[in-house]
Amino acid sequence: MHGSELAPMEPSLRSWLRERVAHYARREPADIDPSVSLTNYGLDSVYALSLCGDLEDHLGVVLEPTVVWDHPTIEALIAHVEEMLGGSSRRMDAG
Amino acid sequence: MIATELERRFGDPWDSGNPTGHAAVLAADERGETFAAGEQVLDAVGLNAEFVPVDLGGRLARLDHLIQVMRPVFRRDPALGLGYGVSSLIAAVNVWAAGDASQRRRVADLLLAGGRVAAGYHELAHGNDFAGNDLSALPGPDGVLRLNGRKEVIANAGRAEAMVLFARTSSEPGSRSHSQLLAERADLPAGAFRDLPRFPTSGMRGVQLGGLEFRDCPVPADTVLGVPGHGVETALRSFQITRTVLPAMATGILEAGLDVTARFVDARMLYGRSLADMPHIRSILADAFVDLLICECLATVTARSVHLLPDETSLYASASKYFIATLLTDAVYELSRVLGAQFYLRDGEYGIFQKHLRDLPPASFGHSARATCLGTVLPQLPRLARKAWRGGDAPPSEVYRPGGPLPPLSFDRLTLSSGGRDSHSAALTAALDAPDVPADLRRHLLVAANELGTLGLECAALAPRDLTVDARPEVLELPARYAAVLAATACVNVWLHSRDRSEDFLADPQWVTAALRRIAGRLGRDPGPRPRHHDEALAADVLARHRRGGGFGLFGL
Ligand SMILES: Cc1cc2nc3c(=O)[nH]c(=O)nc-3n(C[C@H](O)[C@H](O)[C@H](O)COP(=O)(O)OP(=O)(O)OC[C@H]3O[C@@H](n4cnc5c(N)ncnc54)[C@H](O)[C@@H]3O)c2cc1C
Repeated sequence: MHGSELAPMEPSLRSWLRERVAHYARREPADIDPSVSLTNYGLDSVYALSLCGDLEDHLGVVLEPTVVWDHPTIEALIAHVEEMLGGSSRRMDAG
Repeated sequence: MIATELERRFGDPWDSGNPTGHAAVLAADERGETFAAGEQVLDAVGLNAEFVPVDLGGRLARLDHLIQVMRPVFRRDPALGLGYGVSSLIAAVNVWAAGDASQRRRVADLLLAGGRVAAGYHELAHGNDFAGNDLSALPGPDGVLRLNGRKEVIANAGRAEAMVLFARTSSEPGSRSHSQLLAERADLPAGAFRDLPRFPTSGMRGVQLGGLEFRDCPVPADTVLGVPGHGVETALRSFQITRTVLPAMATGILEAGLDVTARFVDARMLYGRSLADMPHIRSILADAFVDLLICECLATVTARSVHLLPDETSLYASASKYFIATLLTDAVYELSRVLGAQFYLRDGEYGIFQKHLRDLPPASFGHSARATCLGTVLPQLPRLARKAWRGGDAPPSEVYRPGGPLPPLSFDRLTLSSGGRDSHSAALTAALDAPDVPADLRRHLLVAANELGTLGLECAALAPRDLTVDARPEVLELPARYAAVLAATACVNVWLHSRDRSEDFLADPQWVTAALRRIAGRLGRDPGPRPRHHDEALAADVLARHRRGGGFGLFGL
């Protein structure tokens, strides 16, 4: 939606999220499919809130605490964050 | 003031002819009946209006006022407090938090007319794991929602005109699959639901605990509260209000326990002298009194935080619920030791004590078990260790001024996590720099501050599995210790903000020194030798308050 400008952010945010989800799920990042609901990896509501906090700190933004409940896959989360941040997201991405 | 009016109408608890005195309360409990004379008093003052926001025609504007009104009710009869009102409050806050204008109006009108709303969360099969609940409300072939399943151990299930039901509204996994439904009994077709038999209990025997079973029970279209699927979020936000006020109201049980114990101590002669002259007995009275003061301070600061720091309340409400329930339980047990065999007798002058003792446990396991409250705080701790505890701004000073002005209650601003914020922690650090803090108080204050430092190190290093119900048992001690630090912060700051009012009980450093000493002991630190003169002064205060017939609270009532 935002064109090629965002392309560099996405892979790094994706790999960062896979690493975080793997950390909570106690699995290897390679085992985490970004299109699969995080509940499939045993990430309950508590982990979802923690992941939201990690993401806020990582990107330096404020998100709804329930963001992972509403966007329960890595893909959906990335899409939501990109939409929210628009053109400024590349600068914010520390990973 | 409604609280004063209630006390006046309840009358002297020790007058055996008083229809709302201890003897009458005890008799109703023995029969397992709702305390009718007590309910009449509450009807007469229109107590339900306390649960209805001002903009809907009620008197609910401030949580500290709500607590103040309900404490005398719990002092007189905890079952009356829970059965008459609080269960409606637990249900109603969901409506205030998520309902639309017409749902809010309906519930307000019902309560203002003296009606009841049942809070239908609990299912025996799932307990505290309410997100695992099975009652479902799914659309049938005609698109109409149909209820299937049960709600059990619900106060007033059989006599409430309306109910808030927590139900699964989607079969998807995750946290967006439940909703609250606001259902009125009169709208449900007979035959599609049935009342379950009453659940007999060992305490709170005047509360009519029932249940409902639904079978393909259709509900009207406008039944869902708020956004469908947002029920877990609504519950977690609403519970911040109820976890704040319920334990605070239950401090009335400890007040009643102190009153009964003081009466016993006053009258009892052993070895040719009054029990009140035994240092051991005085120390127990003093400790229980100090625990009450700690509970009140923490409860008041937490209630004020809901108004002033709503986005941090998820932390404070659960920590307070845990800590206050723990202190109340321990303190009432300790008082029972003073009464000896008398606390075990079911009638006679002191029989009311064992009723209060039996009524107290739901304050700790009900409406979120203590362990569940710790489980709400625990996953927030690592982020606090990384952010808030490394420095930040202290909260507005009004949060520590009991009775002072407050901004309106804003349900919209309650959030599911404090997001790494904990303003109170900065006020603990700030208190260390306050001038003219007595040396012994300062020593206890340092214990709390060091504890926060240690917590910061331990919490930053928590492994993911330790954030959930899989946490190792010792890890649950971290939120418990955090709660103790929060209590110390509340006490010392209330004192710092009151000490300029020299005529006030609050201004004297004695109570706060004793409070922080108790908290240091709870944290497993050696608080040093007991100052004998503190015990004497505090126990004398307990006896004097008993003789005056007033309350034992920090704030006069
Ligand atoms: C007088 C009374 C009135 C009531 N009124 C109502 C009402 O009006 N509406 C309503 O919905 N319900 C009501 N209840 C039910 C009440 O809400 C439940 O008792 C409460 O939710 C606790 O559930 P449980 O007792 O089944 O405990 P369970 O959840 O089965 O707990 C069992 C044990 O597991 C522990 N545990 C649970 N979760 C955790 C966790 N996350 N971490 C660590 N340990 C944990 C508990 O501490 C406990 O030791 C009432 C109960 C009583 C006694």
